[in-house]
Amino acid sequence: MPTVSTRRVVITGMGAISPQGVGAAALWQGLCEGRSAIGPLRHPDAGRLRVKVAAQVPADFDPAAHIDERVLPLLDRTSEFALHAAREAVAQSGLDFASGGLGLRTAVIVGTGVGGETTQDEQSRRLYGENAQRAHPLTIVRLMTNASASQISIAWGLRGATYAVASACASANHAIIQAAQQIRYGLADAAVTGGTEACITYGALKAWEAMRVLADDTCRPFSANRRGLVLGEGAGIFVLESLEHAQARGATILAELAGTGMSADASDIVMPSAEGAAAAMRQALAEAGLNPQDVDYINAHGTGTPANDATETRAIRLAFGIHADRLAVSSTKSMHGHALGASGALELVAAIGALRDGVVPPTANLDKADPACDLDYVPNVAREMPVRAVLSNSFAFGGLNAVLALKRAP
Amino acid sequence: MTATIQQQVFEIIAKQAKIEVATIRPESTLKDLGVASLEAIEMIFDIEEHFDINFPEQQGANFDTDTAQSLVDAVQKALDDKAAGEGSK
Repeated sequence: MPTVSTRRVVITGMGAISPQGVGAAALWQGLCEGRSAIGPLRHPDAGRLRVKVAAQVPADFDPAAHIDERVLPLLDRTSEFALHAAREAVAQSGLDFASGGLGLRTAVIVGTGVGGETTQDEQSRRLYGENAQRAHPLTIVRLMTNASASQISIAWGLRGATYAVASACASANHAIIQAAQQIRYGLADAAVTGGTEACITYGALKAWEAMRVLADDTCRPFSANRRGLVLGEGAGIFVLESLEHAQARGATILAELAGTGMSADASDIVMPSAEGAAAAMRQALAEAGLNPQDVDYINAHGTGTPANDATETRAIRLAFGIHADRLAVSSTKSMHGHALGASGALELVAAIGALRDGVVPPTANLDKADPACDLDYVPNVAREMPVRAVLSNSFAFGGLNAVLALKRAP
Repeated sequence: MTATIQQQVFEIIAKQAKIEVATIRPESTLKDLGVASLEAIEMIFDIEEHFDINFPEQQGANFDTDTAQSLVDAVQKALDDKAAGEGSK
């Protein structure tokens, strides 16, 4: 078998819009403070909904800031989030895509669970609710799942492989893995990647209600009194580069994306499997050249549903063996909610923060031990500790698993 | 003659579980009847639609232990609550 030469992949820029506020720093600071952004649902139709809580981007988020007024009408809320986060990430990276043809060698791969749900909801209301004769002419360009990736490509002149990845709650991690592979196998020198979701619409909330997986008070991952997930929204976007590209220009490297793992449970459409999740974790460790004892922190998928948290605990034990008891494991969804196709991207901000600052963000609202969840979940208060390597887990409905392994900057 | 609530609920369960109504006992759990979690959520939706009621958010969270009779009781309670709500208007 021919050997394939591979390159190391590093992260040199990050940006976020999250329930904690605008910017990756606002998200990371909120998580370190153990501050949950879950609050009463803000929605014009809240009175017709049973769901009472959500983790929403602050109401003062101004999409018009930093986005050209000619572009704004083309954007669903998902793309507004993605463009804002991308601008922050590109600025931090210091990359000039117009220089030396870099734009031609830059991929844009963005995950989203559903895409332009706000647009879909508004137009459906017009057509079916108000018997409007016509849909808005920009409906398609706003709602298409690839809109965020395309808008980023256009904004910075990025001409490499550009597309969306959809795998429900694992979309961001799958997108980031695809982007890393572009660089690892020499197909691109840089990539802009991450995830975005804006799913707090009347139709989507009704659909989630009907599935009976939403918590009615707050998100309590790994706690015996957990009652389900709390929906969130936002975007996290990152700039990836090959290590040599970043070093040649003297860039500040935030972390190395050292390994990735992907698997499918091939069992139930919603009930997770510990074996499938463990397989993805093992792959990520192997690609990163990490032994279980090299890892100090796992940012868990940790949705706060009865099924996920116990199964994820078993999966971590399967993948890590006796070292599982020495890991710090936390679910930051307890604070930023479950942003579905963006969640892995928001959690990558937490994983990078843990590596850089030596602080593990806590699992908020963990107040009742569950015998089925018997790891160290860093309850309620952040922990200062040396963090050498991190895994970030995302597991999706459909039985799809995507795991990132990160190391400190070389 | 209108079917009793129990008959109506059992018919919905039978349809979802693809079994004969006669095989359902009040003490049968959904698990006994071979109803998986996602099917149970669909069944609860069918029951809500059929009776025009809303179960509480957490209703149906324990598919392993919920019995056919507990669903009948839940329907009766939701119908009573609905009647009481309408009576007070």
